Amino acid sequence: MNRTVYVAALHEKGHFMQETFETISFAQELDKGKIVLLVLADEESVTTLSRQLFLETGLDTIGLKGNFLKGYSAEAYIKTLSSFFRDKEPACVCIPHTSQGADFAPQLSVALQACCITAVEAVGNGAFTRTMFGGKFKVEIRPTKQASVLTVLPGTWNPCSHGNIVQGELTITDVPDESVSTRTHGIRESSHKNAALSDSEVVVSAGRGVGKQENIRILRDLCSLFPKSALGSTRAVCDLGWLDYTHQIGVTGNKVSPRLYIACGISGAAQHVAGMKDSRLIIAVNTDIDASIFRVAHYGVVEDLARFIPLLIEAYIKRNRE
Amino acid sequence: MRILVCVKQVCDSADTLSVNNAGAWVEHAPKSVFRINRFDEYAIEEGLRITERHSGSVLDIVSIGPQRVQAGIRRALGMGAHHGIHILKGEDTYVTPLERAFLISEAARSRHYDLVLTGVMAEDDMEGQVGGLTAAMLAYACATNVIYEETVPDRGEITVEREIEGGSRECITLKLPAVLTIQSGINIPRYPVLSHMLKSRTAALEQISAGMLGPSRPGQVIEKISPSPPAGIGELIEGSPYEKAEKLLEILHRHSLV
Ligand SMILES: Cc1cc2nc3c(=O)[nH]c(=O)nc-3n(C[C@H](O)[C@H](O)[C@H](O)COP(=O)(O)OP(=O)(O)OC[C@H]3O[C@@H](n4cnc5c(N)ncnc54)[C@H](O)[C@@H]3O)c2cc1C
Repeated sequence: MNRTVYVAALHEKGHFMQETFETISFAQELDKGKIVLLVLADEESVTTLSRQLFLETGLDTIGLKGNFLKGYSAEAYIKTLSSFFRDKEPACVCIPHTSQGADFAPQLSVALQACCITAVEAVGNGAFTRTMFGGKFKVEIRPTKQASVLTVLPGTWNPCSHGNIVQGELTITDVPDESVSTRTHGIRESSHKNAALSDSEVVVSAGRGVGKQENIRILRDLCSLFPKSALGSTRAVCDLGWLDYTHQIGVTGNKVSPRLYIACGISGAAQHVAGMKDSRLIIAVNTDIDASIFRVAHYGVVEDLARFIPLLIEAYIKRNRE
Repeated sequence: MRILVCVKQVCDSADTLSVNNAGAWVEHAPKSVFRINRFDEYAIEEGLRITERHSGSVLDIVSIGPQRVQAGIRRALGMGAHHGIHILKGEDTYVTPLERAFLISEAARSRHYDLVLTGVMAEDDMEGQVGGLTAAMLAYACATNVIYEETVPDRGEITVEREIEGGSRECITLKLPAVLTIQSGINIPRYPVLSHMLKSRTAALEQISAGMLGPSRPGQVIEKISPSPPAGIGELIEGSPYEKAEKLLEILHRHSLV
């Protein structure tokens, strides 16, 4: 039986996120049948947003209109989607794995009596692939329930191409008023933005493998060899108090794309890589040959950074003297 | 306030893991060291801070797994938690987030917690689901990636900031009871205190066998688990440490970076 695949089209400030278009591509690859895009918004924006998505994709689009859908809250999204799906049997509900999608997907799966698989990176033979253990293992998971709620890892699928043939239709539906007890108070912008970091040409970045706060000095020394350089770090290093959060690079930190990124003692977690993968040349120094960072690095050095980086600095000085 | 913190014990380093004979999960080498999932330490600390702000509060710990997970529970008691609940579940199989959330919610249901805290995710399976699933099963409110909280128990509310992309924060107020998944960096977890640690060594833990809480409904199975393919696009630089340094400088030179 062909059942419908739904995509929760997440948006922010009147725009669909790039991840929404990636998730549509993912839904198309599932090849299960009909795809329907769902846009949750308040009266003011639902028509504009739904029409925009419909025109861009040519796919069936349903705008779910509710006054309590002004701004995001998990509670409002789950109530809306649960009531929408009450008389339907979705095959899959595909959701971008963003801070919003990952927030409501598991709760939604309980409401739909579906299974939930997060941060999906590949599909095949009815199974969904994701990584575990810091990216060291690939795991294929097969749902044993009728319906699946899936969150799709950002940056894995290309955004869907514009549909020039309009196959679907556009509908706007009123969501019955729900009592939502969550109160939203808006967004506070990050205080950890660091223009010097995002503008620099060379970033030397510290991970937990630095071992202790004193060793940060070694990386500062390396950094000072390059003009227009800055010191970055993983979240772990900031959490430990070795550097302040203005140095953090990643999905919840700064995004950088320098000419050179030197990752020292960094495992290469997806949340970190999201902030540096566009760097032109990536060099990683790590004691663990299996570390995920070596899968994004152009050159890798398997060494203890506390011994190797001083050696590198020494070799640089010698070379410059000659 | 009645608080439950969910704690997972994880293998300290994935270096000691390999795919098991059945090809369905990992097994750890005998020398493996286990510890509390780091994200859960922030949840324990935040729970302790709330109990310190509101006198008369209690903080329970729950952990699922074989006998060895009791070490994690005892460490949490050493940090100051009051009571430990161990849900006994056999070793070396994949326990899905749905099964974990089911066990936690069944154990928690009759205890009427005001707050259930978890870390944002477990460092091993990295699924980040148990908080949300547990909330839905208990019909509690839920906020994930919490980086700041302020409880107002008199009003039956909690105001939190959720960390989102770029480190910005979404501010919301939830009605209690609620589940929060706690983001790292919200606090600095304390070390266990010696006197607590000594007490916790002999403290009686409550043990419930998973089977007692109901039949297991995993919702999903692992078809296959395999080591990720080695380095993709990149090249490993070989040689003695000094040769590696020289070669690296040569590469930087070629890219006009030195
Ligand atoms: C919602 C969410 C958002 C997140 N946002 C971010 C983010 O924005 N940025 C971010 O960085 N993380 C983020 N994280 C955390 C992320 O998942 C990882 O926990 C973190 O990136 C790990 O940091 P790390 O690589 O320094 O530490 P680890 O993962 O502990 O890695 C340390 C590495 O150092 C190596 N090593 C050890 N000793 C040495 C030595 N002597 N020499 C060389 N190498 C050595 C080890 O082999 C290991 O690979 C987020 C997590 C969540 C759940």
